[in-house]
Amino acid sequence: MTNPLRSPGDRRLPRVPEPCALVVFGATGDLARKKLIPAVYDLANRGLLPAGFVLLGFARRDWGHGDFEQVARTAAQKGARTEFRESTWQRLSDSIKFLPGSFDDDAAFDTLAATLADLDATHGTMGNAAFYLSIPPAAFPVVLKQMQRTGMADNSECRAWRRVVVEKPFGHDLASSRELNDLVDDVFTAQDVFRIDHYLGKETVQNLMALRFANTLFEPIWNSHHVDSVQITMAEDVGIGTRAAFYEETGAARDVLQNHLLQLLALTAMEEPVGFDAESLRTEKRKVLGALKPPVDLAAHAVRGQYDQGWLAGERVQAYRAEEGVAADSRTETYAAVRLEIETRRWAGVPFYLRTGKRLPRRVTEIAVVFRKAPHLPFAKTDTEELGANQLVVRVQPDEGVTLRFGSKVPGTVMEVRDVAMDFQYGEAFTEASPEAYERLLLDVLLGDASLFPRNEEVEQSWRVIDPIEQFWAEEGEPELYRAGEWGPKGADTMLAREGRCWRRP
Amino acid sequence: MTTLWDTTGSAVVKALGAERRTHGAVASGLALTLVVVVGEGQVEEAEQAATRAAAEHPCRLILVVRRRPDAPESRLDAEVLIGGRLGPGEAVVLRMYGRLALHAESVVLPLLAPDAPVVTWWFGPPPRLIAHDPLGVLADRRVTDCSLADDPLAALRERAEDYAPGDTDLSWARATPWRALCAAAFDAGTSPARSATVTGAAGDPARELIAGWLRACLEVEVAGADSDSRGLSSIRVELEEGAVEVTAAGRSTAVLTRSGQPDRTMPLDERELGDLLAEELRRLDADETYARALAAATGSGDLSDRSGGRSHVWHDPTDSAEPDPALTTA
Repeated sequence: MTNPLRSPGDRRLPRVPEPCALVVFGATGDLARKKLIPAVYDLANRGLLPAGFVLLGFARRDWGHGDFEQVARTAAQKGARTEFRESTWQRLSDSIKFLPGSFDDDAAFDTLAATLADLDATHGTMGNAAFYLSIPPAAFPVVLKQMQRTGMADNSECRAWRRVVVEKPFGHDLASSRELNDLVDDVFTAQDVFRIDHYLGKETVQNLMALRFANTLFEPIWNSHHVDSVQITMAEDVGIGTRAAFYEETGAARDVLQNHLLQLLALTAMEEPVGFDAESLRTEKRKVLGALKPPVDLAAHAVRGQYDQGWLAGERVQAYRAEEGVAADSRTETYAAVRLEIETRRWAGVPFYLRTGKRLPRRVTEIAVVFRKAPHLPFAKTDTEELGANQLVVRVQPDEGVTLRFGSKVPGTVMEVRDVAMDFQYGEAFTEASPEAYERLLLDVLLGDASLFPRNEEVEQSWRVIDPIEQFWAEEGEPELYRAGEWGPKGADTMLAREGRCWRRP
Repeated sequence: MTTLWDTTGSAVVKALGAERRTHGAVASGLALTLVVVVGEGQVEEAEQAATRAAAEHPCRLILVVRRRPDAPESRLDAEVLIGGRLGPGEAVVLRMYGRLALHAESVVLPLLAPDAPVVTWWFGPPPRLIAHDPLGVLADRRVTDCSLADDPLAALRERAEDYAPGDTDLSWARATPWRALCAAAFDAGTSPARSATVTGAAGDPARELIAGWLRACLEVEVAGADSDSRGLSSIRVELEEGAVEVTAAGRSTAVLTRSGQPDRTMPLDERELGDLLAEELRRLDADETYARALAAATGSGDLSDRSGGRSHVWHDPTDSAEPDPALTTA
């Protein structure tokens, strides 16, 4: 039944999900404390949670509701984007529950299933629930099987919706991701599975679609006739912190390239979707990822590096191999750059350069579309010496916005053309504070809007591209060292120089 | 900050340009121009609210104070501020004396940000006819506040008679949190409504607008009931089976009661003027839901087919038996 008080034209009323419970597995972990709980608080503070809402933590701790509430309170105070208000917390704290149990404990899951049914009576959740798997991938099978056994994942059995949220990594290669997808899709229906790639929750990434498909200015030149190359960069200035065990197994390509960078590439290169619903968007992304060609000459078109000791932001930082928990002869890459091509009429011949790394000079994520140079310049050669190629740069973070770079005459009596930048800053045109990516994505999960979540085929297509590169690296020597605080290894520069291009300094 | 005494419109434009250059804001993005019509006594309050709204929507802020239209000499005093006490954006405060006050648009037009939407907000009694005020005619969106009129309900009826797409009223923004709670109560699925009662202060235009909104959406009789609270105190909808009620409970909370379900405490924030204004600036297209609510609240016919544009109607408050309150606020 539709709500007579809501109409699409009434845009003052916020989109509020149906009554539901959010069950967090691994509720005591880092992600839950730093991101999920603050996001739930922010949603509550903005009045975006339904009247019947419960946050249910599940973890292997001997805790009661009160203990968890205390932890959640501290987490919200520390991590929330909006102001911490006692009154909001008071209301929310009635809805925070905790269930102790390990993942192989049948009794604990039976209690969970019973609790979910009870919550409808006590909190009016109508039996709806979203399960957030904030747990190591190794624990997925056990938890999913438990959910299957107790029937809590079955929409028809529960006569309510049941959704699951999975965090990356979605497997570590094509085979393992297929296995994981089969398992998840076996327990939940495919449309109820939400794979979180938090980059897609960022306002600027969504703006990329507005930029491309709401304007007439850019789409006509968005192809190989006008575009020379595309550079997608995600640089971090931090090292691996305390994630050594995870990172040693994973490396930069699996950690970032396979998911964030390829998703950004898909959004940059996809055709116009027929509508902005989840199905059409994912179909277009799937198409472009399917058209991606892994590099043929892997030695020339895939570069990996590892940071050595150096100076960064005025501080001395140690080499990757000296980090705690990292093997002294580790071959894990902390930097990866690849050159990919898309085999479609629109993009044939346009290289897409993707790079990511840790301990680079600054934290920045951007998509730079570099246009071809003008075929003829009616100026003397000396007049245009400093003129580069036109660029359209989408800054994903920080300083969210768009920059357009073009040539302009330097004032004066001689004709001299030089590059200038025209800047659109998100914060200047709209400062309605952008919600945190997790806040947005969590709300989408509860609303059942899957537009910003990659589908399993997209994940599998991404692995298809990454797998040959990983295999090549596994067989071939060591990653090239680069000094912490510089823009990656020399090999990455050589990769572009060979084709007469160079990396943009973000 | 530049202060100009007894100046001209072109000098203000020049001063704004110079201030922009010194602050390096040459290419900064402006989403809109906000024109605030305000009386001298309320300038500070209007500045605070507009600054708060500007923090959310970077805009060029133009405050127009009409002083003494009957003064013998016309005069313009101006203050130009960038990144000062009026927030991160650009602000111009214009004080107009004498007959100039009736031709305020001659100073305001060249100051509007190029090709950006214009919002005019009367921080005072709303105009009887928006067409009387040239600052309303040039705006894409017009924000009034009926609660500041001497007779708020009469002002609301005038708004319905005068309505054109792009008009809104801050009373409607005041109703939003209540409407959100009401809509949330119906999300869980309910049986059809039979009747409704909206309780609140007598003569509160927000109460009338909510009643109008419920009448339009639920197609049932909606009664109003007086209470001695400052604003709204409750909304109750009788259903075929049971009832739904939203009741204010203490500061910034409300209780949601539905038959057969546990009571829920929900946030119901008291919002400041600046927050209400920010809500108005969030969408710049015509608010159809407001038009329906206003029509139902005042018993006017369908307002949605009114045409958008207005032409200026000359009105001189100094020789009128019934001067329009918006032109005589100072």
